[in-house]
Amino acid sequence: MRVIVVGLGEVGRHVARTLSGERHDVTVVDADPVRVESMQGELDAFVIAGNGASPKFLRELEAGEADLLCAVTQSDEVNVIAALAARLLGTRRTVARVRDDGYFGEDDSFAREQLGIDTVVNPERATADDLAESILLPGAVHVELFAGGRVAVAEIALTTRSPLVGKALAERRNVRPASVFGLIRDGRAVVAEPGHRPRAGDHILIAAAREDIGPAVAFAAGHTSRVRDAIIFGGGRVGLPLARRLEEAKGIRVTVMESDAGRAREVAEQLTSATVLHEEGISKDAMLAHGVDRAGAFVACAGDDRANLLAALHARQLGADLSLAVVSREEYLPLVDALGIDAAFSPRLVTAEAILRAVRGASVQAMYLLAGGGEVAEVQADVGCFAEGRTVKATNDRARTNVIAIVRDGRVLIPQPEERVQAGDRLVVFNARQGVADLHKTFDAAA
Amino acid sequence: MTRRLRLGPNLNWQVIVPVVSGALLAVGLGMAVCFVAALAGDGGGAAAFGWPALVTIPLSAAGVATGGRLRSTPLRARDGFLSVTLAWVAAAAVGAIPFLLHGTFDRPVDAFFESMSGFTTTGATLIADVERQADAVLLWRSLSQWLGGVGIVVLVVAIAPATGLASQRVFHAELSGPTAERLTPRIAQTAKIIWAIYLVLTFLGFLGFWLAGMTPWEAINHGFTTVATGGFSTRTSSLAGFDSLAIELVAIVFMAAGGVNFAFYWLALRGRDRLWPQAAEVRAYLLILVWATVALTATLLIADDTAGVGGALRESGFTVVSVVTSTGYTTVDFDSWHDFGRLALLALMFVGGCAGSTAGGMKVIRVMLLAKAAGQELGRQLQPKAVQVLRVRGRVFGEDVRRGVLAFFLIYMLVFAAGTLVMAALGLEPLTAASGVIATLNIIGPGIGDLGVSESYAAVPEAGRWFLSALMLVGRLEVFTVLVLLTPAFWRPSVA
Repeated sequence: MRVIVVGLGEVGRHVARTLSGERHDVTVVDADPVRVESMQGELDAFVIAGNGASPKFLRELEAGEADLLCAVTQSDEVNVIAALAARLLGTRRTVARVRDDGYFGEDDSFAREQLGIDTVVNPERATADDLAESILLPGAVHVELFAGGRVAVAEIALTTRSPLVGKALAERRNVRPASVFGLIRDGRAVVAEPGHRPRAGDHILIAAAREDIGPAVAFAAGHTSRVRDAIIFGGGRVGLPLARRLEEAKGIRVTVMESDAGRAREVAEQLTSATVLHEEGISKDAMLAHGVDRAGAFVACAGDDRANLLAALHARQLGADLSLAVVSREEYLPLVDALGIDAAFSPRLVTAEAILRAVRGASVQAMYLLAGGGEVAEVQADVGCFAEGRTVKATNDRARTNVIAIVRDGRVLIPQPEERVQAGDRLVVFNARQGVADLHKTFDAAA
Repeated sequence: MTRRLRLGPNLNWQVIVPVVSGALLAVGLGMAVCFVAALAGDGGGAAAFGWPALVTIPLSAAGVATGGRLRSTPLRARDGFLSVTLAWVAAAAVGAIPFLLHGTFDRPVDAFFESMSGFTTTGATLIADVERQADAVLLWRSLSQWLGGVGIVVLVVAIAPATGLASQRVFHAELSGPTAERLTPRIAQTAKIIWAIYLVLTFLGFLGFWLAGMTPWEAINHGFTTVATGGFSTRTSSLAGFDSLAIELVAIVFMAAGGVNFAFYWLALRGRDRLWPQAAEVRAYLLILVWATVALTATLLIADDTAGVGGALRESGFTVVSVVTSTGYTTVDFDSWHDFGRLALLALMFVGGCAGSTAGGMKVIRVMLLAKAAGQELGRQLQPKAVQVLRVRGRVFGEDVRRGVLAFFLIYMLVFAAGTLVMAALGLEPLTAASGVIATLNIIGPGIGDLGVSESYAAVPEAGRWFLSALMLVGRLEVFTVLVLLTPAFWRPSVA
């Protein structure tokens, strides 16, 4: 597959590295020659300096022959123009990162249908949605929905309150209708084995039908206390949509702390019931004054990773029930576990999810990348594909993946290894590492 | 560079002359109408209207004609304030002439007071026996209120040839409310829409009164003064003189209609979803009318032994609508009510109608914003770092509006306090002094005490009449426009 990545920022690098790791032909374009120079030799890809929004330049790159163009520069406008130009030149699929909600709003059908941009990614808004889900589901630090919202996958940070801690999963494996399928320890995702004994501080992954996920998470986490007070540190591109989501959810008192006076006013004007504080600094005193110690959830989503980590650490030490941080740079992720912060959310991963979904092709409909390196994806078993009629175990072996849920005729199944896959099934699969599975070969009819 | 006439401390006469002339032209045409009415009727007062009209119309038309150059003149805020204030003073002064010529009043101050009370739609009168006046004089009183209703300068802007940005300045200097709303991209278009709505409402009011049993003559007069929320009547005893429930109901409907934000009608007609802040204000306004009526009905039943719920409801409902909309029609002597009722009515006078209506007072939207601002200041004591936003139904009002509303309230109260002191110094007893200031500053008309329903303003000494005339103008132009003229900075030539 030929892929053009426009923009060599945090996201562009990650996508390029992942795709070239999966043996795709990647061309990376960036307007900054210095950055291009520094990336030469870092990537197994063409790295070229040039303006990705220029149709002339794109033609020189033979964008018309490309299967995918990902426009992920810092500028929304450049991304949109690059995607439009590529589309007109004949690129098969286009993905553009657009961070300003003012362009398309919540509904991006205009971009898709009128402009022909296949996927518009708003990483900050998607991150805010993820954060909201995990705050609204007590016990979970992360929730992702698959198969049109029928299947929920939840990531739970285990505390000593959890009944799973210290016991072998074999004793507890069948928390049906939910199933523990993965474990994240020391920042690495692994497939859950019956012999695993989860420890406090581990994250476990469970899958269930959406209506069962609440009780399943409550059981696994060992508590069901709903979040009543949420404090959001930073009213930026993540903080504002998150605050709005939590306001809509009712029953949660939302407080937003924003250090910039002008931005604080903007945020206050766009929220209705939330308390917006013009609060500078992340001192423990200031946090105590605003009730962080009694908060059900604390979310650090200011612009700076280090400030976020520090704030989340303070919040945790002060006693916030759930302490979450937005961390953009990969280098900081190991700190999340070390500091005891419940979960880190990365806009970069969200963008990568959307882009990798586009790369994986039509059979992969949804995807969720774990901070620990794993991925959960959704595929459809075509008529006449390899998996049709075979057992889950055989399918797993062939595709080097783990089927964790099947949606058949609108019903959700948590399959045993002997369950047989039928044509038309939608399967949710888990891999401990990205890009290793042969989903295409196993589930597409032509292969 | 534009050629500029310099006749004063750097004043822009090229803006002032056409605006003032435009107002005077409207006055002159109004007097011409009264002249025709006098000839068609009993003939009384024909000369008193004919001569002033004959002089005013050509002169002011010439003044308006100079407005052709208005488009190219440089614009300054002060020109807007000065020209609007002068336009109103000039209109009242010229409008006073027929009263003197016809012999309604002997002293210029009385004629000026009556005329200013007309144009500002206050409705306070010095005429002891209204029925004895010539028809033309009564029509002139009604017509002056109608011209002043949504604003004489708005009328000028609507009718005068395109005057560009200058008209925007004067428009905002006259229009009521904490924010300047425009309905259309062009201000002249907005002014036309407002006057069109006003004409329609006036005509419906006329029809209503006629159908309810007034003679066409009386229906015309009351049609003019009801939607304008003016309050001049053709009878000394005001609407009590008709003693008709139907007429009172028509009056209630059209007084209330005049107190609604005219922008609301326009937006509602167009089905705009931009409606919400206006709709919230109208809703609050109607709630105030309803709850004040309920409270006063209860007072009447408990403290004043009024016969029956129906009678009490009729008395209190009419009085509340008349007072809140700053009309000042009366059907009962509310000055004889229990003290709670009297003082509640004084408080309601301060509230007034919606912004951008014909009503006076502080305006409902300001009261809403003040209440919110007050609540937020209390909240700030607990949470000093909270960022607070003034919001009505999702519409955010900026910090400049917060400051403006608080300053308005402060200055309004200072004017009230100072005004009461002045009236007391002139020898009025305290309640009368206060109610006189309240009833003129909020352009209501009748007050309580010696200025109550059964009295006229005859109790006020001459100096007080000048003073109250000024207060009416201060109230009608919402304080800032007039008071800014009293600041030394305004007259410093360096002010741009």
